[in-house]
Amino acid sequence: MSNFIDRPRYLCTMGGAVSTLKALPRAISIIHAAAGCGGNIGNALNGAAGYLGSGYCAGLALPSSNVYERDIVFGGEERLEEQIASTLEIVDGDLYFVVTGCMVDIIGDDAVSVARRFNQQGKPVFAAETGGFKGNAYNGYDIVLSTLFREFVEKKPVKNKKIVNLFGLVPIQDVFWKGNLNVLKDLIQKLGYKVNTFFGEGETIENLKQAGEAHFNIVVSDVYGVKSAKIFEEVHDVPYIVANLPIGPAGTKEFLETVGKALGVDELLVSNVIAEEKARYYSYVERLADVYNDLDFQRYSVVVADANYAPALTRFIADDLGWLPELVVITDILSEDEEKLVAEKFTAFSSGVTPKVVFDTDTSNVSKHFNKAWPRNNNNRYFNAFSPAFVFGSSLDREFADSLGAAHLSVSYPISNRVVLDRAYLGYSGSLRLIEDVIGLLVGSR
Amino acid sequence: MDYIKEKAPPVREERLRACNAYGGSCGNLVEKSKKGCLNGIKRKFSQTQGCQLNLSLAIINTIRDAVVIVHGPVGCGGASLAQAGVNKGFQKLRDSSARGLLWVNTNMGENEVVQGGESRLREAILHAEKEFRPSAIIIVNSCVPAIIGDDIDGVVEQAQKEVKAKIVPVHCEGFKTKIMASAYDAVYHGILRNLVPHEKIVQDEKSELEALQEKYRTSRTVNVLNVSSMSRIDEYELVRLLKAIDLELNILPCYAHPNDFQKATEAALNVSICATHDDYFVEHLKEKYDIPFILRTIPIGVKYTNRWILDIAKFFGAEEAAQRFIDQEVKQLEEAIAPFRDIFKGKRVLIGGGEIRVVANAELLHYLGFEIIGLRAYHYDQFADEMLGEQDIITQIPFNVATGQPFEQANLNHNLKPDLYVGHVNTNVWAAKQGIPVIPLFHQSQLFLGYTGIYEFARRLARILRNPSFNRNLKDNVHLPYFEEWYDKDAFSYIDESELQA
Repeated sequence: MSNFIDRPRYLCTMGGAVSTLKALPRAISIIHAAAGCGGNIGNALNGAAGYLGSGYCAGLALPSSNVYERDIVFGGEERLEEQIASTLEIVDGDLYFVVTGCMVDIIGDDAVSVARRFNQQGKPVFAAETGGFKGNAYNGYDIVLSTLFREFVEKKPVKNKKIVNLFGLVPIQDVFWKGNLNVLKDLIQKLGYKVNTFFGEGETIENLKQAGEAHFNIVVSDVYGVKSAKIFEEVHDVPYIVANLPIGPAGTKEFLETVGKALGVDELLVSNVIAEEKARYYSYVERLADVYNDLDFQRYSVVVADANYAPALTRFIADDLGWLPELVVITDILSEDEEKLVAEKFTAFSSGVTPKVVFDTDTSNVSKHFNKAWPRNNNNRYFNAFSPAFVFGSSLDREFADSLGAAHLSVSYPISNRVVLDRAYLGYSGSLRLIEDVIGLLVGSR
Repeated sequence: MDYIKEKAPPVREERLRACNAYGGSCGNLVEKSKKGCLNGIKRKFSQTQGCQLNLSLAIINTIRDAVVIVHGPVGCGGASLAQAGVNKGFQKLRDSSARGLLWVNTNMGENEVVQGGESRLREAILHAEKEFRPSAIIIVNSCVPAIIGDDIDGVVEQAQKEVKAKIVPVHCEGFKTKIMASAYDAVYHGILRNLVPHEKIVQDEKSELEALQEKYRTSRTVNVLNVSSMSRIDEYELVRLLKAIDLELNILPCYAHPNDFQKATEAALNVSICATHDDYFVEHLKEKYDIPFILRTIPIGVKYTNRWILDIAKFFGAEEAAQRFIDQEVKQLEEAIAPFRDIFKGKRVLIGGGEIRVVANAELLHYLGFEIIGLRAYHYDQFADEMLGEQDIITQIPFNVATGQPFEQANLNHNLKPDLYVGHVNTNVWAAKQGIPVIPLFHQSQLFLGYTGIYEFARRLARILRNPSFNRNLKDNVHLPYFEEWYDKDAFSYIDESELQA
């Protein structure tokens, strides 16, 4: 894999930190960086995440020290102190979090100590070094979460056996995060638990503050949020499990069974919930039995997505929808161990379909991998073409889909060709939305 | 002006003593600007803005058949993600085979901060060439390689020997300046050094007749410099206006093909629609190639459209023809606008965005019957002095110089209570949440310029004012992030003039 990235599908560490804070109710980012960092991030979060908008205090409203050459020469701590104080005067938030950019990290500004001075005066001000060169947006998510787990979440020696926390689903990077969290909460509540997700509907910063009383943490990712879960365990003595990100009946059944087993839920209850949800799912999917078969709606597929969505979505496509995902391109920057973990997810589909899985960050390589995965027609009279086809990816993959003559649905970041509000693709109900969107595209272009 | 031998242009604080923090009356601003004493004003509370690199990309991302290399950590230039689905369509309006926006990020990590990022940049250049075979590879340099001392120009010089595409380094490190409009100079600097031929191209083997024809054509051709916020229909309108005095247009730099810049020297005159966007480019074309320029105004509103045309006509000795055209256009326009005037009469408006556009819109909205109650500009420099200084009716109203800074905007809107906000992208949302009807100051698919632009703008205004329920409902249901006390303070109370440079 190359060192540069051809059209990366994520921001930097600070971008991930700002987006995580943007998704946290009434949390205010205070950017300690050059003036354009926040503006750049604001635009990427607004226009490339299904038109998420500027939010409560993001976009151009992001408080920012806007340090420039002189501060880089003489140090920017004084300017940061002034900015934190003035932000506390003007901006109404429940939690303030200083995130730092490359330049101030390189010159060694101690933003954490500056923030701590405010914290010691009883102001809810936190900080972490999030310089963009430290990694991509996912790293920013883990840095913000682990800082808050360490410093903001209250210590609770007595645990509440009926409360769990859930994370690993990275807000905004998962453009459907808000709707998805609703679905996951709802599923786990059916098993008898209250769920803190920190970013979900109706949650406040209090849910996060009190999260230490949880009995268990559930991480719905093999790679994201795991670091934070380990820190949570270390600081608050709450164990965690990794559960699969559930899309569709097959994946959601596994999710409920994994969670149920870890929490010691009565097996009968778990199987009842699964049966009930599945029955509802099929009461709707049944409607498509006509059109799916009359118009031959099976499709070859390519999935281009992150490490969370790619396995979950591909499994749904193969095992629930009965389609043929032949190529999966996972666009995140992962370590070898992480790649191995994610790759394993594709090996045991009940349908027996085994897609080719590649890890590649570069957008223009998607078509190259496809050319290797499926032979080209060398003017043969008879040719087993990759058709009819469907591409699940981001807005960046529309051209690749066009080159195949395939339909295309944006499901992974960046999404600039559709609006996303409370739509969810997880669980049983979310996969109904996904089917509506996918089959909707097919009937819409008839 | 001649900075072309330098690797990078000076920033605008130095070159133009431009300012991005001010609050006071329009009259006072012009007076201070003329004395050159706006530089050095700061804010004790500030919100994010754009940087040179972001704004450079606004132009560079439009260039056809080019690959952009963002040399920096993975987030730099990330805003391009929001354009990835949109930009191709705009390029196709100029060339149906356009490929849309292609970019590569050099993904500088901790290792590169220590060891340098030059090899990554080189790799990215070679990849761009091999993968896309573009006409140009445009490198935007970010803060990190600048501070660790990557020798961008050295890498480019070496790589250029191996690569057919023209490589254009643009030095636009964000931390260098608070005036993000410095980006225009950075981009033009790269274009002037690498895409505009260093000498006027002399083509031999032309018959005498061909040479004469060529000379005549050049003598009737003007370079009209567009901006990335303009629409294709805006350009058509400018073509129409100048066709009336028998001129040909060469439209640069946005959405141009890299080779189009070779023809930049084959024009009799450079015409800007926004002085603060173009002065660096036209001054250099004057200095190096002796091509005169007109920088004075923007063709928005009757007064300034007339002036824009007449200034150009004067250069070509076509004032009479131009005046006849103008009289006829204005007469037709007045009749067309008459039905809207009652709707606009006495409505109070606050305008925010780029200085030139804002000041011209003040004149336009006044002409349409609005009362102008406040202006906000992303930055301020000498180029708006004439237009702002001559509008007597607004001498006393507040002028807020602020790159974004929606907290000041919210305070002004809260206290001035305008009936309409005319604003820049990314600032409109905050006025909308205060329940104020909003019309965008620019829009890449709409017409704003020239006489038809006035009519279309008026038509859209009337439509938007007819039912502002969407924003009114927002006001009742969402909140801006500021404490109530903020609205009791002076909007400019965080602007710090203590280090003002005299």
